[in-house]
Amino acid sequence: MTKSMPRIAVIRFPGMNCEEETKRAVVDAGLECDVFMWNGPTSELVEYDGYVLPGGFSYQDRVRAGSIAAKDEIVDCLFEEAERGKPVIGICNGAQILLEAGMVPGIERGRVQMGLATNIMPDRDGYYTRWTHLRVANDGTCATRAYERGDVVPIPVAHAEGRFVSAEKGLIETLFANDQVVLTYCGPEAGEAREFPANPNGSTKAIAGISNPEGNVVAMMPHPERAARLYQVPGNLAGPWGARKREARDAEAMFGPGPGLPVMSSLAGFFGAEPREV
Amino acid sequence: MTPTAAPSTRTVRIFQTTDMELEQRLAEAGLNFSLSEARKVATILARDPTVVEAHIFNTMWSEHCSYKSSRGVLKEHLPTDAPHVVLGPGEDAGVVRLCEIDGKSYCVAVAHESHNHPSQIVPNEGAATGIGGIVRDVYCMGADVVGVMDPLRFGDPNGPNAERTREIVHGVVEGIWQYGDALGVPNLGGDVYFDRSYDDNCLVNVVAIGLVEESEIKRSRVPEEARDVPYDVILVGKPTDPSGFGGATFASRILDEEKTLSDKYAVQVPDPFLKRMLTVATFRVLDLFRERGVAIGFKDLGAGGIACATSELGAAAGLGIRVDLSRVPVAEPDMTPEVIACSETQERYALVVPRELTPEVLRIFNEEFELPELCHGAQAAVIGEVIAEPRYVLEHKGEVVCDASTEAITTGIAYVRDASERERGLVEPDVPADLGLVAAFLGVVGSPNVASREHIYRHYDGEVKGNAVVRPGEADAGVLAPIPGENVGVAVSADGNPFLGALDPYQAGAAAVAESVRNVCATGAVPIALTDCLNFGNPEVPEVFHDFVEAVRGIGDAARGIGMKDSDEPIPVVSGNVSFYNQSAAGSAILPSPIVCCIGRLDDLSRHTTIGFRNAGSAIYLIGRRTGELGGSEFMRSVLGAMGKAPATVSFADERAMAAAVTDLAERGLTQACHDISDGGVAAAVAEMTLLSAPDVEIGARVDLAAMAPADGTVGVPEACRLIFCESGGYLLEIAPPDEAAALEVFEERRVWFRRVGETTEEVGIVLASVEGGDVEVPVDAMTRAWTGGATEVML
Repeated sequence: MTKSMPRIAVIRFPGMNCEEETKRAVVDAGLECDVFMWNGPTSELVEYDGYVLPGGFSYQDRVRAGSIAAKDEIVDCLFEEAERGKPVIGICNGAQILLEAGMVPGIERGRVQMGLATNIMPDRDGYYTRWTHLRVANDGTCATRAYERGDVVPIPVAHAEGRFVSAEKGLIETLFANDQVVLTYCGPEAGEAREFPANPNGSTKAIAGISNPEGNVVAMMPHPERAARLYQVPGNLAGPWGARKREARDAEAMFGPGPGLPVMSSLAGFFGAEPREV
Repeated sequence: MTPTAAPSTRTVRIFQTTDMELEQRLAEAGLNFSLSEARKVATILARDPTVVEAHIFNTMWSEHCSYKSSRGVLKEHLPTDAPHVVLGPGEDAGVVRLCEIDGKSYCVAVAHESHNHPSQIVPNEGAATGIGGIVRDVYCMGADVVGVMDPLRFGDPNGPNAERTREIVHGVVEGIWQYGDALGVPNLGGDVYFDRSYDDNCLVNVVAIGLVEESEIKRSRVPEEARDVPYDVILVGKPTDPSGFGGATFASRILDEEKTLSDKYAVQVPDPFLKRMLTVATFRVLDLFRERGVAIGFKDLGAGGIACATSELGAAAGLGIRVDLSRVPVAEPDMTPEVIACSETQERYALVVPRELTPEVLRIFNEEFELPELCHGAQAAVIGEVIAEPRYVLEHKGEVVCDASTEAITTGIAYVRDASERERGLVEPDVPADLGLVAAFLGVVGSPNVASREHIYRHYDGEVKGNAVVRPGEADAGVLAPIPGENVGVAVSADGNPFLGALDPYQAGAAAVAESVRNVCATGAVPIALTDCLNFGNPEVPEVFHDFVEAVRGIGDAARGIGMKDSDEPIPVVSGNVSFYNQSAAGSAILPSPIVCCIGRLDDLSRHTTIGFRNAGSAIYLIGRRTGELGGSEFMRSVLGAMGKAPATVSFADERAMAAAVTDLAERGLTQACHDISDGGVAAAVAEMTLLSAPDVEIGARVDLAAMAPADGTVGVPEACRLIFCESGGYLLEIAPPDEAAALEVFEERRVWFRRVGETTEEVGIVLASVEGGDVEVPVDAMTRAWTGGATEVML
């Protein structure tokens, strides 16, 4: 019997553009990782232990961000693998796909219950990039197990459509009640982000990430792979992470773990502390 | 040259025509080269050209492609070589060595261009295809694009064309983010100026930076191996359509508002989605070539389309190319051969590959990456082959539509333009003794040319690829970590103050170099290369041409005079572009606008420095003497409402010494914060260091003007203005008190002019001390409002 590390597939849909750095962050967290083509054989895809849908502009965001990719054959396969309990994290465009595929919030199997709508921002429109502070609302999911509930985590956002909305009455309340709200935007000191730019897109209840009821599928708008190492953190960021960057005086510190790395470590933790036996 | 029979196809009759007849023929054929150029084509070919040949020459001899007015001047003045230069100007991008790690030589490829005319006509698409074009120049060197940058110049947002200007601002910024963010190339920012001279000609310059291992550099030439084994020409990307037909010639003439409708078709259509997939697939194909150890030729299709790219691939190797235009995948039926040959459809590359690998290359593009499924008609297709005889042959539906020596097509032409200095008739007002210093300070800091660019750069994705270390708004230059996991940084800044161009183009060129160098050094990085984009009016006007020559001379002198750190070598100018005819039909030309980009290397990312003050109680040092001139300064224009006369002049020796000193300080970890002094002088610099100071603490600054002045004692208002608003080169540094002694040693050692001019304070805001009549306090609230809102208003 050989022991082997869990293997993660970062799915490349046409038009995505964060595959490589997402893979690097997964590897930094101690996992094996490949970039897997959207048209690759599903017989190979099912061999992976978990999946990350990275950011980008799948199918050019035609119709709506994520809506075309959500209908790709490969997503049916991901759906089935997720139902077998494997972890799936969707980041930004990946999150949009998970929502459009009905994999999250997933209270009703496969039904699209939420959307990621166009940002609402005072005096501006279009794409918006900024480092945001996130509060970990549920530390039991495949993307947040390595954090503690209540942790304040700076991770940047970059999107034009990231506002969690739902037309279903009471759904948002249900998500909070079910602990399916995983991450919310907050200020540097954990206070609720009611206003722009702390809430960068006008998201309902400052929601930044949600999960399915089981917590093994997480859709999040912020990009943890852009916060995987300290060098990526802006020195002018409020709070302890900005100070750490300013004070980093050697390569070891600069390339040390960043605030977003635990998202990927959570994926590792999902398989238990010991490498899984194959 | 083998004499050829004129191919059996439509020709443009040139021999035995009168000038009037010829003029009419050229106009009918949509050719806009001059009569003498047309006659020269016929002389070279020793016959009338075919319609296709005429269009090819028309494109290749456009100013845009041929540099016919500028080439001699560039060659005379710009230093392009240094020991670390791998490829200088001439290729699609310049390449310099960055570092060596584990026996691998990593290089930076850089290209710098303009997309001015298209952006004026259709701002969104024009700016988008600007990015689209510049990244291809870097990708086709085999390099991965790790950053782009956009220096922008717009009209007066409050002038007579305010409405159109604001539309252009919005459209250009939107085009940049829509394309760049989707393609996934980090945008490191750039710079922005507003001036009425750009009302009819906005400037959209673009810089792209790539990373490539030296052994993997691809050349825009057919490889030598093609002499022995058969090589195919593969065209990959978007199906060829009529868009961009005439784009190069459009870029080489004066914009006429009445023709804008027809000009729209000269602008290409952007498709970042296809480009992204094309790029990923191309790197997969390049891996294949590496695995098989085969040499290839690789070139992007830009100006002049298929004709320009494939003829240059052949000419560079002294070999010929035969292309069958009927095999080119097209988007529309019945396209004429000249349109297929010369259209500038975006998102295409030409590859010259050994025939035995052709099936595998086509399979990767068309099946593995499903290009035809992803974008209607997109694909890789064999369109021709390399031939031994150095001829450029195009066929279409069985007819030869072009048959000329590759050399004749690609050699180009040159002009010696007249140059004469313009009468400027400049006058400079005195600074009134009763001028309100606080209002002037706020006026400068809140000018759209100085104020925060946050509204713009928040549209740009600077963090895709995960390599961002320093983003816009943190430091004077963008800093990235281009090699994953390695502690090496690249810093980039693009600069060019157009108001210096109005007064003294030589100084404008020199100052553009000096400022870009300072911005890079202010992050702790050491300059290793320069690029330039030279934006001017009509070169056939002697005064414009004189401006151009002077600016180039200034760039060359500065590149040599400042030079590489601790070396006698110049900072090499490795790539660039000339954009003439930025002049409206009504006759007004833009201000002479040389824009220079500097690339720097950081050997240890942890030693990078940023703008914002870190702590209260630090010392503030000024290096670089205030020379007192105010000509062209932000103060002169926005406070006194004049252009002035004498600008601060660049001292190469001082810039060289200062560059060495600030990078020494950073390397030794002695710098808390560093900011270059340029637009808005010391006033803007200290304001920005305060406004961008560390979060979580409140920091202000007290600056003693007596310490900056040549004489002791308090200074009057006019003198104060000459100290804090003069834009002569320099830096402000925050040094922690325990480090002051070590910093002084560096200043002495590098022989820079320096003064300890103040301290950072716990009281927010800025206090200007030693002014006659008492200390002047600039309140933080008003300063914040002015700086954060000054340029934002223009964008709303």
